[in-house]
Amino acid sequence: MAAIEENQYRVRVARSASSGIATEFAVVLEERMTVLDALFSIQRNQDASLSFRCACRVGMCGTCAVNINGVPRLACRTRVKTLGTQVVSVQPLPNLPVIKDLVVSLEPFFAQWKKIKPALRPKDPASKELVRVPHDSNYARNSAGKRDCITCGACYGACGVKESSEEYLGPAAINRAYLRLLDPRDSAMKERWQALNEERGGIWRCHTQMNCTSVCPKGITLTDTITRLKRAALSPGQFENR
Amino acid sequence: MGSVIGWYLQRITGAALLLLLVAHFWVEHFLTAELRRGEITYEAILSRISNPLWQGIDIAFLLVALYHGLNGLRNILLDYSRIGAGAARFITGGLIVIGLVWAWWGIDAFRNL
Amino acid sequence: MNVYTGKLAQILQRITGVLLLIYLLLHVHTIRELREGPAAFNAALATFRNPFFKLLEIALLGTVILHALNGVRITLIDLGIGHTRHVKLFWYGAVGFGLLLFLAGAIPMFLQGVLKV
Repeated sequence: MAAIEENQYRVRVARSASSGIATEFAVVLEERMTVLDALFSIQRNQDASLSFRCACRVGMCGTCAVNINGVPRLACRTRVKTLGTQVVSVQPLPNLPVIKDLVVSLEPFFAQWKKIKPALRPKDPASKELVRVPHDSNYARNSAGKRDCITCGACYGACGVKESSEEYLGPAAINRAYLRLLDPRDSAMKERWQALNEERGGIWRCHTQMNCTSVCPKGITLTDTITRLKRAALSPGQFENR
Repeated sequence: MGSVIGWYLQRITGAALLLLLVAHFWVEHFLTAELRRGEITYEAILSRISNPLWQGIDIAFLLVALYHGLNGLRNILLDYSRIGAGAARFITGGLIVIGLVWAWWGIDAFRNL
Repeated sequence: MNVYTGKLAQILQRITGVLLLIYLLLHVHTIRELREGPAAFNAALATFRNPFFKLLEIALLGTVILHALNGVRITLIDLGIGHTRHVKLFWYGAVGFGLLLFLAGAIPMFLQGVLKV
């Protein structure tokens, strides 16, 4: 069997105990190991008090989003070797309150999420009929590539507007609202538009920095969703006939 | 509805300014031989600006620029301050007043030339 | 080319925008000198032939080019074009192409206006 390449890395992790100042750990990692592997290695072999979140380890659940070398990414999907540097800096997601070390509270994220009424509000809740949404329907075509949000919070952490605005919805919430607006089964268009059009927190606070699009681990073109909504705002009634 | 129109107008005025600016620059620096030589004088300018058509174009240019610039300034101010709806209205009102005064100041430049 | 290019672009757009507003103020002020007659107006223009002002004019050229090209980039994005290439659009489209335009104007301005070649 071919030898697995191993490399020495210096992983700097922000710690609550030192008010956010990083502790540096020397870690030896195999070639294909990820930042999450590095964190586990540190926790098991060097410092059991290190706190971080993870669940699926395969980029599906969105739990392990952290700031890696200044950019919000999924720890389990970031192979350390691809960072191109020996020094890896891991910090909690920005724009969210830190609970401990790399663990942040997603309360503000989901508070914005709820503002746009994320759940489907069926036109006829008592109906027993299945609604068919074909793959070449408007819904399917317009929502292509936008349905994969895992609510990891990377976009929220990257957003320059979220740095200074508590009221701004954030890209993920806006994207979810867009999906619901497109959905032919939905009936809550008015409430969603109200939230999206809101002066202090709605889509108009987006200034097309596109940080969100750059960091989304699912490759969702979030700014595109927001600009679609901005263009659609001239005729919000278009979402009634889907 | 207000936010939509403002958003569209900022882009439309931006595009218009690009065209107006290129035209303005060409007229002021390349239209006649003496301008191309860099001889910008009172006489050279006045011969053109006495024509009300040019005055109209220049004033239109000013008004479009004022809308684009002051609306941009409004976006900056409303973004970087933790302010409520009342203060936001005050800032908007203030900028409108500044815009009107500035527009008059510019249009007045052509009075009694 | 950083993922946060867009944030830098926004900050630059705002700074150049405010600078251009200030320029507009000065420009309208100068045009008002036309009413004071040829002597006053030509005197005002003479000040601007000073090399220091020529340098400011060159800076103005750069400011306008950056603001305009980045504005075009933003408008393209708002129309749904270029989302996957927005970082490159900024560095090559706005900054790179802008630099070429800037040099095309700034070099003759510098030679004639500052060095009086």
